Amino acid sequence: MSQTIQKKVCMVGVFGTGKTSLVQRFVHTLFSERYLSTVGVKIDRKPLELDGTALTLVLWDLAGRDKHEDIAGSYLRGAHAVLYVADGTRRETCDQLPELRALALEAAGDVPGVLALNKSDLKESWALAPKDEELLAREWDLVRTSAKTGDGVEEAFRRIGRATLAGREARP
Amino acid sequence: MTVTAAIPVRVDARGQTDVGLRRKANEDQFVIMTLVKSSEVRQTSVPDPGVFDALRRPEGWLFIVADGVGGQPGGAQASQTAVTSLVKYLGQAAGCFNSIDTDREHEFLEQLEAAVHDAHRRITEEHGGATQGKRATPGPATTLTMAMLVWPRAYIVQVGDSRAFYLRKGRLRQLTRDQTAGEFMVNTGAWTEEQAQKAPYSGTLASALGADEMTPVVGLVDLQPGDTLLLCTDGLTRHVSDERIAEVLGRAGDAESACRELVEAALAGGGHDNVTVVTAIMVPG
Repeated sequence: MSQTIQKKVCMVGVFGTGKTSLVQRFVHTLFSERYLSTVGVKIDRKPLELDGTALTLVLWDLAGRDKHEDIAGSYLRGAHAVLYVADGTRRETCDQLPELRALALEAAGDVPGVLALNKSDLKESWALAPKDEELLAREWDLVRTSAKTGDGVEEAFRRIGRATLAGREARP
Repeated sequence: MTVTAAIPVRVDARGQTDVGLRRKANEDQFVIMTLVKSSEVRQTSVPDPGVFDALRRPEGWLFIVADGVGGQPGGAQASQTAVTSLVKYLGQAAGCFNSIDTDREHEFLEQLEAAVHDAHRRITEEHGGATQGKRATPGPATTLTMAMLVWPRAYIVQVGDSRAFYLRKGRLRQLTRDQTAGEFMVNTGAWTEEQAQKAPYSGTLASALGADEMTPVVGLVDLQPGDTLLLCTDGLTRHVSDERIAEVLGRAGDAESACRELVEAALAGGGHDNVTVVTAIMVPG
């Protein structure tokens, strides 16, 4: 009997970018306008089938970086991939991505990452010019997402799932 | 990768429960348990046998509070069954829980969840319970909030509306979200917070052990020396504000006095329900 592969994926980003909402949408098909900041780490699981491989993503939804606390590297240890989340209506959440990637690299090693550029439904307050997004897309495996409408959410998580499997195959 | 950090704290943990001022019986339960390796050096030629002292230190701590659902027969039995079955289940597996192994942490988390599902099954089997909505009267049910501390990581599993908090440098943070009808309706956007506050059944549990719906929520937090962990039933949080809880925990000299003061505050605030608190102070040492 084949065993389901489990992969730890950490959700990383500045506070209020919608990490929890993306998990809620992907795992529970729910969306809430209410904002409740995550404390510590919340863990959810989502089984997937990717190209004939049964995979369970163990999603670690980390409290976002804020002025009180940085993201603890200890939570990232053992991660197979990182889903970075930025808010397209707040440019500063993109500006902090290089620092967050450096933090993840130090704690988890060179694991694959996908960037979810979230809140794509908020077109009126979108803060990034097309050129900004092009630059981001050169640096990152980028998916535009909206936890509210569901656009891009499945794609972002499936992409990170594939990345964990590719990482597994690439390593000895 | 296994992380075997030296434990830089002494855990000062206490619990207290009180029937309150309105209820006739106390349907809350709590437990504080240490998980210790069963190895002991009986004889050695090593000049300094003190190097083996670490073998006798607790490797993990388990804290549980459970609040039997009032107004239904068997609430006290449900909370008791929940606590005893969890302690048995996790006690048997204690040897696995003495360090954080990041490669196998998901198995550890599954064990914790499995323990909760086992407790749920026992309640429904022993006391009559969840029948996928077919029974005429609800069976006994209970909330459950537990923290398994494997320094520095506190793994939290919660079902219902008993809460877990931690206090760090005077700031109280709530680690759990109540699983109540009101919370569910607000989260789905069906109600505003104001509507939830006014709705008569807002506080009805949306998930409980022994009930038709039982959905454990899992989380964790890495603690630091000086932090205080608090688990409590809603008999505390219905009557005592977060600010007051933070104040009491912040100035308490030890876990025993913190528990006593919190219970006294709940009683002074009305004591409508049973009240149970478990506090664990990570004393730097």
